[in-house]
Amino acid sequence: MVKPVDRFGYVTRPENNIRPANSGRRSWRSAALLLALAVAVPAFASPASAEKLTIWSGWPDLAPFYKRIGDQLKSKYPDLDISVEAIALREHEKRLALSLPSGAAGDVIEMEVEAARYLEAGLIPEPPASIVAFVKANYDMTRVKTAMYEGKIFGVPLFQGQGALFYNTEMLAKAGLDGPPKTMADYTAYAQKLAQRDASGAPTVSGWSLRLSGGGSGIAEKYWTILYNHGGTLLEEKGGKWRAAYAGEAGRTALKQYLDNVVVYRTVTPEMKADAEAFELGQTAMFIRESWVIGDVAKKAPNLKYATAPLPKGTLMVPVDLYVPNKGPKSQIAWDFVQKANEPENLLWLLENTAWVPNRKGLDYSAVLKKIPQLDAFVNVPAGHVFFTVPAISPASEILTRLAARLEKAFTDKSLAGNDAAIDAFLKSAAEESDKILAREDLLAKP
Amino acid sequence: MRTTPKWLFPVLALLPILGLYGCIRVYPIIETLRLSLFQWNIISRRKPFVGFANFIELASDPLFLEAIFNTTIIAFSVVAITIPVALALAALINSRQGLRRSGVYEASVFLPHVVSLVPAAMAWKWIFDARLGPLNALIGFFGIPAQSWLFDPVLSLVCLIVLCSWQAIGYAVLIFLVGLKNVPDALYEAARLDGASSLQAFRYIAVPLLKPVMLYVSVITLISSYNIYAQAFVLASDVQGAPGHLVRVLVLDMLENSFRNYRVGYAAAEAVVLLVIVLVLTGAQFRLFRDRSRA
Repeated sequence: MVKPVDRFGYVTRPENNIRPANSGRRSWRSAALLLALAVAVPAFASPASAEKLTIWSGWPDLAPFYKRIGDQLKSKYPDLDISVEAIALREHEKRLALSLPSGAAGDVIEMEVEAARYLEAGLIPEPPASIVAFVKANYDMTRVKTAMYEGKIFGVPLFQGQGALFYNTEMLAKAGLDGPPKTMADYTAYAQKLAQRDASGAPTVSGWSLRLSGGGSGIAEKYWTILYNHGGTLLEEKGGKWRAAYAGEAGRTALKQYLDNVVVYRTVTPEMKADAEAFELGQTAMFIRESWVIGDVAKKAPNLKYATAPLPKGTLMVPVDLYVPNKGPKSQIAWDFVQKANEPENLLWLLENTAWVPNRKGLDYSAVLKKIPQLDAFVNVPAGHVFFTVPAISPASEILTRLAARLEKAFTDKSLAGNDAAIDAFLKSAAEESDKILAREDLLAKP
Repeated sequence: MRTTPKWLFPVLALLPILGLYGCIRVYPIIETLRLSLFQWNIISRRKPFVGFANFIELASDPLFLEAIFNTTIIAFSVVAITIPVALALAALINSRQGLRRSGVYEASVFLPHVVSLVPAAMAWKWIFDARLGPLNALIGFFGIPAQSWLFDPVLSLVCLIVLCSWQAIGYAVLIFLVGLKNVPDALYEAARLDGASSLQAFRYIAVPLLKPVMLYVSVITLISSYNIYAQAFVLASDVQGAPGHLVRVLVLDMLENSFRNYRVGYAAAEAVVLLVIVLVLTGAQFRLFRDRSRA
């Protein structure tokens, strides 16, 4: 008896298992039918009204806020399922860059000034007319700039990051200082008095914690804030184009202030604990930061005695706006979510529980301020206090990152301390690099 | 009767795997090579061809040059540390084979390789901490003043080299051990009869026979060291509390250019440079080991 062989010439299956010629086709049909059923049944089984709304945030501390909004929205959409995906800001920026061009982003997304790129590329649809009217009626239009492109509104402002001085009231009292510094010159004088040292003279508690290292653009942003309070700015606009403006007297004074504190008086050193953690541990007397520190202190150092004060002239303000990047049936629910998030009651909850300052006009902060007086420096800024922001131009981040890399080295460079000519040369070289980046993007203004 | 060629089945069987390999390995490389010749911001539909402009700009970019310098120093240092240390450790462990706890030695040496990268880097960050770290406490016993390990530009490079070597040695030891176990005992016995000491037997028998293994270990270590990123990032992260000097390495620079500066073509050009460096160095390693083994 001949054994069944296949096309390769060897036995492939037992004799008693040989099927009729058309059995393979039939089994394929059965498999296809099963697959179709497997796909179709869950789709029909789920209720038609069930919707899942995904919220993408770059601020993990905002997750409870968004969950709260989602819960409130369930009165209108009972089957609504809210998924809050709040991750670290830099990772959030990466996922936006990868998902927005392919239309795979969340249903509601947060964006800062980088929104300009996506608006320019036409990747964010315009909101309904009711949302535009809502923004126009409830927000100061100077704060809506980052959510606008060619005069049209695309997003709704939610909150903003803005700096103020945090100072340890017990340390100031111990040093005989009865209030916060008023001028930038005061800052260094205060830092000298507030720094605590060991027997060898090395600082153990910094007088004024400065951002001196860590990579990224943060170093340059903090330098910009100090520069601004010395009367300068990093980039200036001329006729819709930009130019580096820090290679001047204010830039020199700002950098000198860093060098005075780090190299000359050693009120702070790069290896000391820094920022909010140092403040909460009592390892620095004062530092400049955004309002979120208040929420952080409440969690990690609730007994810390501290107060806040506005900066002498102004502060860098980073607005965070909400966008709905996808058109379709879910977009209406998404816009309802955005509008719900901006209701006064929810914004006050946001302020009280996360310390992020809402953007909406006309909110009554008095009840929250009674509970958290440190918020006063953020919500009741003095007249004439200026909020400036990173320009919504594509190379802004690169300019800041490259300047930060240079500044990090400069802050500890002893050859720059007390040497105005060397500081000027450093700033000139850095500004030339900034201008070169602007020129590459055809954004360089004429001098 | 017409028969189907015998090669058809293996080819068909391999096709899905080859297809997958092509999609997830070959295509990205080709696409990276192509992108390096374009200016693209990841978002825009506009993607103008710029020829070699990205490469020309790289040649005078101080951050890229710093990154390439740092990465090269780290990669060569890690190889220079890993190969002799791993070989010595493998020889020691091999000499204890069959004795009690020999498995413990192997496991303890291999452990750093399997520890997740980020927690390991966090632990080393604590060890290197200028004020609270045990390393400064240790050197203090010998009268050496405390060092700013993570802030000094040179010392922070040293920290990265130590961290990467610590992780690479475990894997290298394992590979060397396999190589050592394959050296025939008869060769050692012959050497002993000829009056060779253990060290001489190792030097003149084991080491020459291990050259192919050394080639493999050095190539793998060099390639992985050129690709370091997370270690540099973690040692300088935690900006809220204790940041450190960010050692700029190539992959970190690429990520920054891609997703912070939105310069994907420029970052692709960096990736091409990295590819060329690794290919050239791997070729050089092959040549070096082959020539010596012939001699």
